[in-house]
Amino acid sequence: MIDLKLIEECREGNFNNFRKLVELTSPFAYSVAFRMLGNQDQAKDVVQETMVTIWQKLKKIKTSQVYKTWIYRIVVNKCYDEMRKRKRNPEFVADDNTWELIANRISEGPSAALENRETSQIIGILTERLSSKQKAVFVLSDLEGMSNDEVSKITGISKSAVKANLYHARKSISEKVEKYL
Amino acid sequence: MKTESEKYNKVLDLLRKSIPEIDSPEDIEREVIKRIATIHKSRLNLSGVIDFLFGWIYIGWVRRSLITVSMILVLIFIYQQGVILKRIDVLSRRTIVIDKENAPAPADEIEKMLMMYRNSGRRFSSKNITISERQMKELFESVNELQIKYKDLENLIEGDPELKKMIEKKLIENNRTKINL
Repeated sequence: MIDLKLIEECREGNFNNFRKLVELTSPFAYSVAFRMLGNQDQAKDVVQETMVTIWQKLKKIKTSQVYKTWIYRIVVNKCYDEMRKRKRNPEFVADDNTWELIANRISEGPSAALENRETSQIIGILTERLSSKQKAVFVLSDLEGMSNDEVSKITGISKSAVKANLYHARKSISEKVEKYL
Repeated sequence: MKTESEKYNKVLDLLRKSIPEIDSPEDIEREVIKRIATIHKSRLNLSGVIDFLFGWIYIGWVRRSLITVSMILVLIFIYQQGVILKRIDVLSRRTIVIDKENAPAPADEIEKMLMMYRNSGRRFSSKNITISERQMKELFESVNELQIKYKDLENLIEGDPELKKMIEKKLIENNRTKINL
């Protein structure tokens, strides 16, 4: 949890404290951005833009509890923008080797972990057919482990819509996993 | 044989465990601070331009002079409004209401009206005479009637020389002359 005092000090224009806030906020902002976009450079850009937005609108924050939800909302919205841009210039190409990679990593057992590049490949192949909303709901709910309430607050869609989007995302990914793995 | 959900959960576990990491968090931090500094600088430039254009309002004597001038203008305005209201009040008391829907009066009638109005103005010095439309009509009718009777009387006197002589004699006796209306 990020300290409210730190946020208060940042509001007063303290650059050094803002550095600390960037340090604390960047990892989870990057995690969501990377998992949604599947691209390191784009995820970094999103994190940078998010931090600049935070600096500009920090005065709107009243409690530290709201801070995290607010950050996630900014990140998700920036990711939507990126995905919209990407729709015009699609760059992801599905690769059959990715399924082999997933199978190998699963067979390695519970200690197996993926590198960023591999995660990017796997998320890319699993979520390529999902809509932006479905992708966001899947990442926040299944990968970041958030409740439907939290996802609803972050994405700005109703709880029933969150459930519906999650159902479709899971179904689509399960079908792929079943087919190729 | 693995079920669909088992495969799905294994893939999910793999992804959950592999938390994306920023390869160079310092770069993000540096870039964010750089962007914020640029925004801050452009804001300072803007405030410099605003100060240059409107900074003179903070000079003491200019400010005091402006306050004095504005107060004088307000006082003049209030005085002017008072005068106008007083004038309107005076005029409203002297208003004569004439129904516009009435048929236009003949030229000689209008002349009579004007003459009556002038005479009444001379005779009654009071400033607040209000005559209704009905009263005006009655007045004109009685004047017309009086004129007709006067003419009849004149004709009667002209037609009877004896009567004329007698009346002239009586008038001389009473030291009175003929009155022209």
